[in-house]
Amino acid sequence: MTNLYEALKHEGLDIEPTVCAKCGFCTFVCPAYLDKLWDSQSPRGKLFQLRKLIKENKPIPRDFAERIFYCTLCGACQEICQTNIPLLRFWQLIRQEVGNLDEWPEIVKYIDDSIQQTQNIMEMDQIDRTLWTDMVDDLVEGRIGIKAEVAYFAGCNISFKGTLAHMGENTIKVMHAAGVDFTILGDDEFCCGNPYFVAGGFDKGKELALHNIKALKNLGVKTVVFNCPGCHRAFSEEYPHLLGKEATEGLEFLPFSEFVLRLLKEGKIKFTKKYPHKVAWHDPCELGRHQNIYNPAREVLNAIPGLELKEMIHNRNKARCCGGGGLLKGTNPIPSVRISGRRVKEAEKTGAEILASECPSCTMSLKDGIEDQKSSIEFKDLSQIVVEALGL
Amino acid sequence: MISKKQNQNLADIVGEDFFSSEDFMTSIYSSDIAALPGLVNDVINPHADAIAQPTTTEVVSNLLKYCKENNIPVVPRGHGTSGYGGALPTRGGVVVEMTRMNKILNIDKEAMTVEVGSGIIWGKLIEDLEEEGLTVGAYPSSAPSSTVGGWVAAGGSGIGSTKYGGVNEQVVDLEVVLPNGEVIRTKDTSEQDLMSKTEWKGFGGGDSFYGDVDKDIQYKPDSTHLFLESNGTLGIITNIVLKIIPLRNIMPTTSSFRSQSLMVAALQDILEATRPFYLHFITDKFYRMLKELNKAPPTTGEFVISCAFEGTDDEIATEMEKLEHIVGRHSGALEPREVAEHEWSERFYPMRIKRLGPSLAPSEVYVPLDHLDGYIDHMNSHFKDEDFALEGAITDRGEVAVLTWFPDDERRKISFLMGWYRSLDVINLGLKHGGRAYSIGMWNAAHSRSFYGKEDYAKMSNLKHKTDKKGYLNSHKVFAGPLVLSTRLNLLIMFIAGLVVPIVIWVARLLVPTIFAAYVPWIMVNDLTSFLIWFIVGILVGYVATEFVNLIPITVVLSIGTPFLRLGRKIFH
Repeated sequence: MTNLYEALKHEGLDIEPTVCAKCGFCTFVCPAYLDKLWDSQSPRGKLFQLRKLIKENKPIPRDFAERIFYCTLCGACQEICQTNIPLLRFWQLIRQEVGNLDEWPEIVKYIDDSIQQTQNIMEMDQIDRTLWTDMVDDLVEGRIGIKAEVAYFAGCNISFKGTLAHMGENTIKVMHAAGVDFTILGDDEFCCGNPYFVAGGFDKGKELALHNIKALKNLGVKTVVFNCPGCHRAFSEEYPHLLGKEATEGLEFLPFSEFVLRLLKEGKIKFTKKYPHKVAWHDPCELGRHQNIYNPAREVLNAIPGLELKEMIHNRNKARCCGGGGLLKGTNPIPSVRISGRRVKEAEKTGAEILASECPSCTMSLKDGIEDQKSSIEFKDLSQIVVEALGL
Repeated sequence: MISKKQNQNLADIVGEDFFSSEDFMTSIYSSDIAALPGLVNDVINPHADAIAQPTTTEVVSNLLKYCKENNIPVVPRGHGTSGYGGALPTRGGVVVEMTRMNKILNIDKEAMTVEVGSGIIWGKLIEDLEEEGLTVGAYPSSAPSSTVGGWVAAGGSGIGSTKYGGVNEQVVDLEVVLPNGEVIRTKDTSEQDLMSKTEWKGFGGGDSFYGDVDKDIQYKPDSTHLFLESNGTLGIITNIVLKIIPLRNIMPTTSSFRSQSLMVAALQDILEATRPFYLHFITDKFYRMLKELNKAPPTTGEFVISCAFEGTDDEIATEMEKLEHIVGRHSGALEPREVAEHEWSERFYPMRIKRLGPSLAPSEVYVPLDHLDGYIDHMNSHFKDEDFALEGAITDRGEVAVLTWFPDDERRKISFLMGWYRSLDVINLGLKHGGRAYSIGMWNAAHSRSFYGKEDYAKMSNLKHKTDKKGYLNSHKVFAGPLVLSTRLNLLIMFIAGLVVPIVIWVARLLVPTIFAAYVPWIMVNDLTSFLIWFIVGILVGYVATEFVNLIPITVVLSIGTPFLRLGRKIFH
């Protein structure tokens, strides 16, 4: 076993609980705190408890370990922090500490086992990686594992969850319509490692990172397109951090919105059909706050004739979480739905008939929230709106 | 200590989900934003036995009735965002956190008032009002996390106070649960009714700190003001009616100056010639600390004034013209719009500089604007060996709420403890320049009489005397109470006394053996048995000493201790 809080000390973050001003700004933006209204659940309260544990060099008790995972890692606490504490990294390292104590929640252990055995989070055979392409098999025929400059990285959720397959299908349709020469990795696509990064299992995630980068480089890929912000963040932020910046040199990683915007600007696609709908946009945390990417999706939506973009009160860097991040949907499914419900209510206030985002996790969560709230608002992924607006 | 059965009864009253007596929870709710030096922590000994989060006024009432009957101390708390000790549980008991009473109950657009649960967060209230095209006149710089009830109970001024006054000027009516559980609306309850309604309960206890009102005192028909800034010592505020205003444009501006005197002169002229919504300054020291953190605006001078106007476009244009003239007259520079916007968005972030500490020792005091220049000079000379940052916000009364921050490091225990005197000195210097305490809480209880005014303080203490003589409701706040030392400190005092007594005897026998032989030959320490006997005697003496120490009011300890801390700081810093 490693020394207690070693990683935290190594990165000089063990002082952060003392730097905390205890102002509590983080509390009323924290989905977990707002769900419980107990300070033990807030970032401020957790820092308070950790300060004592770190000072006394005591391990994180089991009940506290559970509360550490009662968090969506949405980063709202970091965004509003009075003393600029790098809280996202801090929570990741604390989760790593929980892992070192073998106190990961059961669902995290299950995901860990699954990835170790099958290279995906669903414990399914890698041969089924391309099941999602069934509805677009004619468009992907002969494209699996071929050399191309553009690759589409579907990720585990889209690959294996039938309710999310449409996101991959839509992206393929757009690529086809734009005449993009693309490839998909097929069963050579391994989990991006994001569940490990979220749980603080960096060493295990490193093996996956090495494999995926090698697989992409072998195919001569230069641009990788993602529907999943979690995968995108893993490639663009965690991989360089783990493997060194040179490992990802020559590769660019684009979320779907940015890719579509590029196609629009290059004139490869054009919206001509009217799309007379009011759309409220939900910023996925892993794209927005984590990577400061807010504009591409808005620019794409604004380029669609007839579409009226509605902003929620909490948008961009102040956007509230959908409830699905940080593995909360697995560790605490019921609170996760309550958090989703709150976001749906906020969307309803805009008067929009469609709530949209670009993230498989947000898609699942917000759909759950709509059901929970019995809301009449409809959820659509950005790829779906783009495909409908293009008439594909 | 609360017994297991009492815990269960309290949980039944509040609801299982809204009650906790777990250690990790009680420790979180036993602190506020101030970092206390270890020894101060032992002397004050804040530790709650349980936390309750009531959801209705009825629950609060039942809770208070039960706690009073069972002599369980109660400490009301907003969201713990103050640093004056107003929400610290000094005698154990139950911390009553109000954040679940967080609804907007009524918006009256004719009377332009809003009624809210006292636990609502200012930020949330403002967000919701804005949807209706309304807002509040003033809100604290801690608005993203502080409760309306917390600010009303602690007092102070904030953003908007330059135009619309402090928190007291925002309050129209309060619903308060008195210590005996009775619920009143303060606007409809005259001071006289309040005094006569509450029956005398013949508790024994420390009533010597409370005064009596003069016989010819004038009572007011509305008792609201007695509960404002009273830190929940007279009752728990459950609902609040606030004034509201129409939501209008805000135009933030930033101007910078080359010297303190130019900046202060500009502040005086701005206040005289215009009616700003917000008028705030930082001095060069604060500016440089922000610069170190990459948070300083790129301004021409290092003395920076942030001034925001509120109103119609025409009103703002007129004010802007006057402002430009004033800034020019004092050789200042009106900074670009981006700088002004940045500073406006930073109005909630005075504690950025904590990162330089990693701790901060803060202190705040009201100083008349006319005395500001002299006060800052005095501060600079008094604390010439200390790093500190100074900022201030001007109120509609022409007072400046001057906030001083001393970056420090609480991990350096002795130096941090000794540095504690600075917070007290800041207030004393302010008083010398015609100022007054900013908020009372616990640490400023020595200033209660001057803060509330002789007459109101007499009424408040009389009310406290009648309704809560034993001080079960937020003891030690506003009305200074005796110390309750921690068990650790009590034992330490007894142990030290146990060692000191035999050592003193041994030394004394060496120095004056004839006196001992003549008068008290049986007092000696010459073997282990006699050492142990006198050690036990010493422990008993120590026990008696702790009992005496526990009778000393906190305010006395602070005033006696401050000079020692000041001297110690000079030695250890």
